[in-house]
Amino acid sequence: MSLESTTQPLVRIDGLQKYFWENDSILDRLFGNDPVPVRAVDGVSLDIHQGETLGLVGESGCGKSTMGETLLRLQEPTDGRVEFDGQNVYELSGDELTAFRHDAQVVFQDPFSSLDPRMTIGETVRQPLDVHDIGSETERDERVADLLERVGLSADQLDRYPHEFSGGQRQRIGIARALALEPEFMVLDEPTSALDVSVQAQVLNLLDDLQDEFDLTYLLISHDLSVVRHVCDRVAVMYLGEIVEVRPVDELFTEPKHPYTKALLESVPRASTDERKRDRETLTGDVPSPRDPPSGCRFRTRCPMVIPPEDMDIEQETYRELMHLRERVENRDLSLASVGDEGQFETDNGGVPDADVPAFVAALKARLLETELPPRHDAIVEEALAELADENWEAAAERLRTAYESVCERDNPSLGDGAHSVACHLHGVASERPSEPDSWT
Amino acid sequence: MISERVKSNLKQTFAESLLPKLGLVLLVSIVFMALFAPVLATHDPTRTGHYDEQGAPYPPLGHEYTAEIVQDGEIVEVPVEPTSEHILGTNNVGQDVYSRFLYGARISLLVGFLGTGIALLIGVPIGLIAGYYGGRVDDGLMRIADTMLAFPALVLALALLGVFGQSSIHVPDPLVIAGLADGMPESVPVPGTVIIVVALVTWVWFARVARGEALAIRNEEYVKAAKSFGTKDRTILRKHVLPNSLTPIIVLATIQVAAIILLEASLAYLGFSGTTLSWGYEIERGQGILRSRSWVSMVPGIGIVLTVISVNLLGDWLRDALDPNIEGEGR
Repeated sequence: MSLESTTQPLVRIDGLQKYFWENDSILDRLFGNDPVPVRAVDGVSLDIHQGETLGLVGESGCGKSTMGETLLRLQEPTDGRVEFDGQNVYELSGDELTAFRHDAQVVFQDPFSSLDPRMTIGETVRQPLDVHDIGSETERDERVADLLERVGLSADQLDRYPHEFSGGQRQRIGIARALALEPEFMVLDEPTSALDVSVQAQVLNLLDDLQDEFDLTYLLISHDLSVVRHVCDRVAVMYLGEIVEVRPVDELFTEPKHPYTKALLESVPRASTDERKRDRETLTGDVPSPRDPPSGCRFRTRCPMVIPPEDMDIEQETYRELMHLRERVENRDLSLASVGDEGQFETDNGGVPDADVPAFVAALKARLLETELPPRHDAIVEEALAELADENWEAAAERLRTAYESVCERDNPSLGDGAHSVACHLHGVASERPSEPDSWT
Repeated sequence: MISERVKSNLKQTFAESLLPKLGLVLLVSIVFMALFAPVLATHDPTRTGHYDEQGAPYPPLGHEYTAEIVQDGEIVEVPVEPTSEHILGTNNVGQDVYSRFLYGARISLLVGFLGTGIALLIGVPIGLIAGYYGGRVDDGLMRIADTMLAFPALVLALALLGVFGQSSIHVPDPLVIAGLADGMPESVPVPGTVIIVVALVTWVWFARVARGEALAIRNEEYVKAAKSFGTKDRTILRKHVLPNSLTPIIVLATIQVAAIILLEASLAYLGFSGTTLSWGYEIERGQGILRSRSWVSMVPGIGIVLTVISVNLLGDWLRDALDPNIEGEGR
């Protein structure tokens, strides 16, 4: 299969955005609360080529499923376009929309919720045929029986209800329903994550066989990297609503480029005796809220490889610590009252007395920083912390920002074109520092 | 639409407990009495003047009382004996209490079931549409519903009755026309406006429950799947959302039947009924003579209590049997 196909992609996603709005009821508008956007999908561009399986991986809540649903127009996008066979999906109506609904299908994650409990499985699989009015009554019944047998169920189970089936069987019923219209493109939204490991392989193999048989194109959404490696041709890695890396599957697994991809791969436990000694570079901190994503590169708050400002001779570890300190100062996530021994510093009336400032700074620094700083940085940090003695948060944050602002927070790296794109300042077009810092091990 | 599993649950819960059986027996007998009221009744319920020779209303069988009557310009107390002609006695205008009890059951059940039916027809579609579409449709419809809920049902009903007036439709009684019951009234008064008014104050409950269900169901993956292959909203509402939200609606409906019967009794007691053949009206009539001739109020009162209890017992049974926790997966 050609990975860098020059032909027209089957699905072309261009700048897709999907925001959900909070505080958006009539009452909120009445009281003048501004709606808060939750940026579930924020400017995703991707091509999916005929016949390939594109994996979409990322942590829970990064917007994978929303993207799958939005590109099928199960939700209206906030901005951007999706072309299917050269036509903008969001501008379709009437017969064209019906044709799109015919050609693009979805298999959902939860086999317990994806089948209507009050419909027999025969009715469930037949539904798409009824909606599109395909064939006569008897032809539809025959087709349903064929489909069920194709996914490994017997046709005499037609009259049973979903609760009489196991999770794996239900998932196969869901696949039969998606296949009923002989689609070209299927979004597989974590099709195996709710299944036992032994059943997962069955379902994946079935999907694989069906792809060959019906010449299907898949978008496989998953957080299970082993599944992705097993099934996909190319992989897109998603973080906080953005695609950070798109690569052919072998390349991605052997030499991941984006720090986030590396961290994801590192986090997979390996069945090896080396495992005990392996130094896992796990991610620190929580995923930032999609209500208020970080400026610049969205991964920078957790990135182990943030690029320090030019001419700043600093260890990555120390730099991380300083970034962390900065973040706490900016968010005012520090209790000044509890600095030093109890009652040592009077902070009630808006500041520590001038005489106590050096002691205050020393106490604060001892609490916040674990490592000894090089003198140059020590001076900057002390200046900033001295501002805190007067509860001057803004000034402290400003001091740290001017000294340590990274290219990662100023600019959001773009993904670039082609099959090997990485959205990171360390790589590709946006890169000004092609070499990786030494601190990465 | 009702699966085997639900049926077996209904049977099992029914077999396990005495209460649903009691409720069923009670309700079936009350429905039987209401249906065959003209045949079972001993007198025309509207005919007045059934007094004893002293001019006093009869007490029920096995009961004696002393009536105060005016004799020769003086008030005298005379003992009154019951008669087998009027097994539950007669009321102060001399109507047969037993016959009125039977006819009263008709009115209560008619208002209860028809009122609930109309409330269902109004409330369920509104609730399903509000919950399924959400957003402004939901905001709009639910603010109307909240406004309705803000008024006490009885006060709202009285206000609406004030607007619509009280009129009843006289429906010919098939049993009398068929000649099975001579001497009974030829038509039954159906209190039309009362039925519509109780439905108008009750639909809100169905709308709220239906909305809640639709809100949950619209996010189910089978609804998304149906959308993904292009099913129309109308079809999704009818084939997926409605069947899956029916269980709590059915349970609510049984409770509402009982509530509407009580509401009708309250309205009739206050004189807003459209017919005098109502239990509530009868209770009011006996109120002033509760000490001396308590049966006049007592008999219709017992009727109301038994009907409401029987409906509620059946409602509890349905709730227990249809509860999704008991229904459970894979049972």
